[in-house]
Amino acid sequence: MSEREVMFREAVRDAQREEMLRDKNVFVIGEDVRDPWRGTYKATDGLSTEFGLDRVVNTPIAEESLIGLSLGAAMAGLRPVTELMYIEFSTRAMDAICLQVAKIRYMTGGQITVPLVIRTQGGGYLASGAHHGNSLEAWFCHVPGMFVATPATPYDAKGLLKTAIRMDDPVFYIEHKALYMTKQIIPEDEYLIPFGVADVKRSGTDVTIVANSRMVLLALEAAEDLQNENISVEIVDPRTLVPLDTEKILESVHKTNRLVVVNEGVERCGWAAEVVAMVQKRGFSDLDAPIERVCTRNTVLPFQPDLEKFVLPSKADIIKAVKTTMGKE
Amino acid sequence: MNKNAEKMLPKEKLLEMYQKMVRIRNFEQAAHRLYTSGKLPGFMHLSVGQEATSVGACNALRDDDYITTTHRGHGDVLAKGVSFEAAMAELFGKSTGICKAKGGSMHIADVSKNIFGANGIVAAGIPIALGAAFSAHYRKNDRVTISFFGDGASASGPLHESMNMAMIWKLPIIFVRTNNLYAESTPQADFQGIPDIVQWAAGYGMPSYSVDGNNVLEVYETTVKAVAHARAGNGPSFLNCRTYRWYGHNIGDPGTDRPKDEIEAWKAKDPIKQYQEYLIDNKLASLSEIEAIDNQERELTEKSIERAEKAAAPALDSVFEGLYVDTVLGKKAIQGDR
Repeated sequence: MSEREVMFREAVRDAQREEMLRDKNVFVIGEDVRDPWRGTYKATDGLSTEFGLDRVVNTPIAEESLIGLSLGAAMAGLRPVTELMYIEFSTRAMDAICLQVAKIRYMTGGQITVPLVIRTQGGGYLASGAHHGNSLEAWFCHVPGMFVATPATPYDAKGLLKTAIRMDDPVFYIEHKALYMTKQIIPEDEYLIPFGVADVKRSGTDVTIVANSRMVLLALEAAEDLQNENISVEIVDPRTLVPLDTEKILESVHKTNRLVVVNEGVERCGWAAEVVAMVQKRGFSDLDAPIERVCTRNTVLPFQPDLEKFVLPSKADIIKAVKTTMGKE
Repeated sequence: MNKNAEKMLPKEKLLEMYQKMVRIRNFEQAAHRLYTSGKLPGFMHLSVGQEATSVGACNALRDDDYITTTHRGHGDVLAKGVSFEAAMAELFGKSTGICKAKGGSMHIADVSKNIFGANGIVAAGIPIALGAAFSAHYRKNDRVTISFFGDGASASGPLHESMNMAMIWKLPIIFVRTNNLYAESTPQADFQGIPDIVQWAAGYGMPSYSVDGNNVLEVYETTVKAVAHARAGNGPSFLNCRTYRWYGHNIGDPGTDRPKDEIEAWKAKDPIKQYQEYLIDNKLASLSEIEAIDNQERELTEKSIERAEKAAAPALDSVFEGLYVDTVLGKKAIQGDR
């Protein structure tokens, strides 16, 4: 099987391209998605040149109508892949996303099908400030009616996005802006990754880390360092937050008896809290120590790089949390 | 009343419009009666007085054309063809409701009739209609979409975003504003800087019409023009249909914040009575034909209420039904401590 090295953003582009070739109902729509601009993070590179401007639709900066239009088109049987340039811009479309896209099937007694993917990106570490650097996945996990994916690697990004585009339910698909240039060797042949199936990114025996999106990479770095101190870390990446592969998380905790949850969202009422609550309820007897959370401090994301670094989760924070669960801090 | 529309329409179509207006009036008045006697739960916004706008506009559409409407949407969805009985059962919150009791008054939709829903959020249906129109543009078919909205939506962002976007791609959409003079309790002069918002629509570059929304034939004829414009690929149009809701914003609001003489003046312009007189005066229908329709519709109303009252309540374990298409993933997603 042939393989090649791709950047995360190319994996995202390739997933869209392959699905557009496969199904003429799939189209891309968003702000500044056409060439030569090709999306703010270049994840739609080449698509408008290949498929034309009827299938790669460049819109005004009008997020509420962008999402509403995508919803109406999906209700009429098309399969939009809608780029929402920054996850923060969802605030301009919260009604459309949370009250319309997510709820309209249920509210109409299951009559309406919404095969819509909203692709967006979030995350910090690039000094992008409080309007462009947040991890807001918890907002969308809180709304019944959508699935939520947060890929950490090019391989996962491609396989999950292709699955999302073929699904008949709405998917909120969140990339991380600091991952677009990361590279990985992935298969040339087509593959799909199912939703709700976690991936063990590193096997270990002492402590389980559950992490998503870019935090998987940070956890992997921390695990390397900890290995030098003979601490063996297992990293479970759920890949999709809704639905969540609770079984694989519990299985890992059953083995390690210790858990650290790493998430870039603000700690208070964040996604990590959901994992903690689930494990204390269903895996309580497996735990040898209180569960640790490593999240963003409960403040507004500051712009200045040192301040931002201080507020966001770091490798050192993860190492400290792992050691705390082992009584070594 | 309009002579052109009469020429364009065979007698059965003229009578069908009468029948639909009566059907809407009956539905709304029954809803009012049942609600105030405690038989219907939830919130209820009635459209009595606005029947000519709903029926005139929808009558210019084909079955495969789309509509979206508002929290005050009973009239529009009935005009587009939703089942009276299933809509009534929905108000009752019964398992036989068009939305299986998951939506209620503000969320009546019928995909089989291309009704993409009433909507609980003011102006939210407008971009959805834009998307339905986009689908026709994308597929290069000639289906048209009407977005019904009211005074409140007119001053909000989605309408203006959507009018602009409809013009960029020349989408086959008709913006129909049911101009009933109030946004909830606020009179038009207090939320709208110009007397007639057709000027706004014209400013976006689309044909815009100020219409007597109580004259079903005028609404019909204007919509026909807009539909032809859209089907020919020429893009959107805008209709400002001047009408009035007889009741308050919702049941429970007596509507007495509005001037009494204003209410009476509009009641005197009852769209159904006007049209009935027109049909009889012009010998387009006999009194006995009118009475036959009235009786038929009265029976439909009574029978529908009776059936809805007798229908089963939804099973409690249906609360997770209809949430996700993929029920395997859905089952994982609904997992919780309870």
